[in-house]
Amino acid sequence: MWSIIKSHFHKGKVGYIITSLFVILSVLMMIVGVSICLGINEMYLNARNLSNSPDISLYVKESVGGPASQRVIDNLTQREDIETLDIQPYYKLEMPESDNGYVCNFIFSDNSVMAMKSIGFYNIDDSNNKFKPYVRNQIDGEGFKFYVSGNYLITGHIGDRVFFRYNGEEYLGYVAGVFDDMCKLYSAQYFYVDNDFFSLLTKYSQEDSQNYIMLQQAINIRLSCNDEVQSKNAQNEIATTFIDILNEYNKQNIGVENQVIVDGNSGIRQVFKDATSPFILILGAAMIAFAVIVAVIVAIVIAFLVRSSVMDEVRNLGVLKSLGYTTNMLRLSYLAIYGIIALACMLVGIVLGITLMPTFVNIITNMARLDMSRAVSLNVGGVFIAIALIIFVIGGVVMLATGKVKRVTPLSAMRNNVETHNFKRNLIPLSKSKVHLNVTLGAKSAVGEVNRSIMVIAVVLIMSLLTSFISVIYYNLKVDQTAIIQMSAIECPDYVIGLRYDDTKPYFDALRGMDSYEYDMLAYDASCYIDGQWQRGQYYENFEILRTKILYKGRYPKYSNEIILNEKYAKEKGYEIGDTITLNLHEYSLDTINKECVIVGYYQSVFENCNYMAYYDLVKEYIKVDTNNWQRFFYFKQGQTPSIEDIKAVLKTVNNESEINFGGFVTGRARLENMILNTVESTAEAVMTVFMSITAIIISLLLIMLIRLKILRERRNYAVYKALGYTTTNIMTQIAITMVILGVIGSVVGSIVGALLTSPILSLVGGMIGVGHFAFVIPWGFVVAILFGVPILIYLVSMLCAVPVRKITPAKSLRERG
Amino acid sequence: MEEQMTENLIQSNNMVLDTNTCDYVIKTDGLCKTFSTGGVQQHVLNNLDLCIVKGDFTVIMGNSGSGKSTLLYALSGMDKPSLGVIDFDGEEITKYSNDKLAKFRRANCGFIFQEVFLNDNMSVMDNVLAAGYLSGLPRKQVYQTACNYFDKVGIPQEMYKKFPSQMSGGELQRVGLVRAIINDPKVVFADEPTGALNSANSIAVLDIMNDLHKEGKSIVMVTHDMRSAIRGNRVLYLKDGVILNEISLGDYDKEQEKQRLDKLKSFLEEMGW
Repeated sequence: MWSIIKSHFHKGKVGYIITSLFVILSVLMMIVGVSICLGINEMYLNARNLSNSPDISLYVKESVGGPASQRVIDNLTQREDIETLDIQPYYKLEMPESDNGYVCNFIFSDNSVMAMKSIGFYNIDDSNNKFKPYVRNQIDGEGFKFYVSGNYLITGHIGDRVFFRYNGEEYLGYVAGVFDDMCKLYSAQYFYVDNDFFSLLTKYSQEDSQNYIMLQQAINIRLSCNDEVQSKNAQNEIATTFIDILNEYNKQNIGVENQVIVDGNSGIRQVFKDATSPFILILGAAMIAFAVIVAVIVAIVIAFLVRSSVMDEVRNLGVLKSLGYTTNMLRLSYLAIYGIIALACMLVGIVLGITLMPTFVNIITNMARLDMSRAVSLNVGGVFIAIALIIFVIGGVVMLATGKVKRVTPLSAMRNNVETHNFKRNLIPLSKSKVHLNVTLGAKSAVGEVNRSIMVIAVVLIMSLLTSFISVIYYNLKVDQTAIIQMSAIECPDYVIGLRYDDTKPYFDALRGMDSYEYDMLAYDASCYIDGQWQRGQYYENFEILRTKILYKGRYPKYSNEIILNEKYAKEKGYEIGDTITLNLHEYSLDTINKECVIVGYYQSVFENCNYMAYYDLVKEYIKVDTNNWQRFFYFKQGQTPSIEDIKAVLKTVNNESEINFGGFVTGRARLENMILNTVESTAEAVMTVFMSITAIIISLLLIMLIRLKILRERRNYAVYKALGYTTTNIMTQIAITMVILGVIGSVVGSIVGALLTSPILSLVGGMIGVGHFAFVIPWGFVVAILFGVPILIYLVSMLCAVPVRKITPAKSLRERG
Repeated sequence: MEEQMTENLIQSNNMVLDTNTCDYVIKTDGLCKTFSTGGVQQHVLNNLDLCIVKGDFTVIMGNSGSGKSTLLYALSGMDKPSLGVIDFDGEEITKYSNDKLAKFRRANCGFIFQEVFLNDNMSVMDNVLAAGYLSGLPRKQVYQTACNYFDKVGIPQEMYKKFPSQMSGGELQRVGLVRAIINDPKVVFADEPTGALNSANSIAVLDIMNDLHKEGKSIVMVTHDMRSAIRGNRVLYLKDGVILNEISLGDYDKEQEKQRLDKLKSFLEEMGW
């Protein structure tokens, strides 16, 4: 038996090598993918522990040791689930932006691509900080040290120059490293600076009468519970209680001389997981999908190799049967050889998977600007799933593919009348062909070898289908982002404009006077309690003018007592359209105000940052603060959106000012970019890059295997061709054309089906991340590019792989008899 | 003693046919072919001078390993000699690159192999056309020529679409013969064309080859078989890479087959066959 297995080994070494590589690749990717996906459950606590992050931070706008913050601390110390509590000085910069002069601003890089208006600073050198962060990628540079969270890497780089400008003074620093951050993605949060710069802020804050640089207290808390759900609930509870305490404190101090309203906000770290999970899941799922695809390709390759081997060995198999070998023994000999290969490669794959898993996660998540490698650890489940997949694929396929062994009888094999080719019709007869001889012969070869052809078509089809699938997603995430904007449920006006003037009306009126002006409205991000939980919401003055069509079911609110909810949130809470819910409007008044609203619709959003939307009129009467400075959404006629310079020019004419005092000035697109698009684009790019590379590698490896085998099998035919007068280039071209023809069939069917199936399939899985329907555009340009790209790739690789044809000399090959 | 005889015969061989004066289609000068296997060199053709006369049916005989096939492949440009010159109808083909040789073979050489070597995935007509279309002549003309030749060798039209696996050995060799002559080559090279055929089929194939010869086609055939060899008008005996001697049998005449056979037999006996 062993001698039979060894005899198999001597043939088709290239096929075995390729099979081995694919098995290793499949196991490796399965381990990485499963570890990423299953690792998400543990990711929050892992990331928290590794980054030494608190679970929640409370920021109190009050000097250190102030009475309001003391009340908060007193309350917290009564809780039993607090593991660590730490109070840190924290400087908050509110920077009025101007074109040339400045009171205070902070600019990243020389070309001011990322000027920030509201940021906080911790002191990295403070040895008392119990939550001193883990810092990576540290470098030395000129000026003060500035440490950024991973979010910064969405647009910036380590080593970037940083400028702090204050009242005519300019200070130079540099991005000295990255700290692993547990803050919510896409939000500009806080940074760490060195002691020198922190001292500088202390100095300026003492001189600052307008509170542009304000010392605050950051109360950082680590909870003792290791259960994520418990932790999340506790974090919400602490945040709610925190606001209650401040409200209570402020109510008691209204009218008291020298007492100011103490404001505060909280940073719940659990949102980190909520915000990152979809991206991580997508990356992990993509890896698992690749692993399964590669396994399917392994199955096709093995099926082809085994069938070919059985066909080639018919006579030997007949002899063996005549000697007394049973069908099962012969089938097992094939199974044994692939079993040995699979076993060896699985071991290599497992070792590589375990060793390279962190590197893989690092590479992939870094491409998506998310550093998750330290939070995602190896999951043994991935190893078992990979083993099961490979055993299932190889065992099943080999047993199926050796079915023909049953039909071989000693007599039929001796007479050699077992069918050796599968067609009886003379397809593409040369006598009827009008095209070039090489093309015709290439085509004949394609239809002449059914097994090989089906395999090539199947593989190219699968790869094209998935390439097309990914291309559609890529196009919609990176190029035409209409769908992702719809999914995010973030309104994207032409401009979001805020002004710092006592009377902003003349300025806004000036903009309204522009020819291309269409309309504007006040849009307000706010929060309230629903069922005792703190929920973020959005208020609009007018739902009818929203450009982002987000409604999924029901209708938009028509009256102030109507509300629409995020569908995912509504389902989670069991709210139905027509139900009445109570909004507890804490944020607008020191008194508790309850407003009953009727749910009239659902909208879809992949983000949980906004769970309800309502008319601004709902809260208008309760807002005590001056809304004059609030930013407004401006809309202009389609195709006539003015430039930023045009907007500034119009505003400057109001009071003949040389500079405009903006309190927030971003374009709609920029706002969205801050929120999501950069990471979405990076994720799309990462997945696309990985997938396209793997596709190219798989197609290339398969072509190498197929062409090498083809040349081996057809050596004699090629020698005869050469004897008849065909040049080496003629034969290479014929081989390439054979592959291209099969590739074109595969890529045409695969690309079109892939493109058409993308939206329906995504709709099926989209529900998991809060998206009910997709409206992805099919980029036919991309699809056509695949149609051409895959065959061109195949042609080039085939020509390259067919080079060994040069070595075939007719005299030598024909001398080899038999 | 044997070496002395070989030396004498080489000298006599040179005298039999003067390579400088014959009306040749192929002429060699100092042809050598050496194979190297595992560092051991084997001189298969050894300073061989030969002239293939235009219109002759030349047969090359010799023991196994004497270099017959190697000589055939060298003469036809399928293999390059290690040393020496081959003049093929005025063209010195030894200088040609592989691709140029391939193009040269299209126009000048036809091949018949013992195992036929038809492509199993193509019909017999396609096998012939795959060679014929290389000529660059109009495809209809090539197709018509193929049909004419098929008719001539006794392959009926209904068999054109058949695949090699569906035909007998004799039929296949006739297809191979048509493939060899489809481009009207200057020389048809045949390597043991009847080696795998039964007697009846052998005779049929050889008859066709004789017909071609009568039409003026130059043929060079390598064979072990005396009944095949007598079809030629000139028989060369190859030993140890040199032409030991040759015999002229005159044009084939079926009536004189026995006499030709006897003559060849005694020649071969003399050569130590």
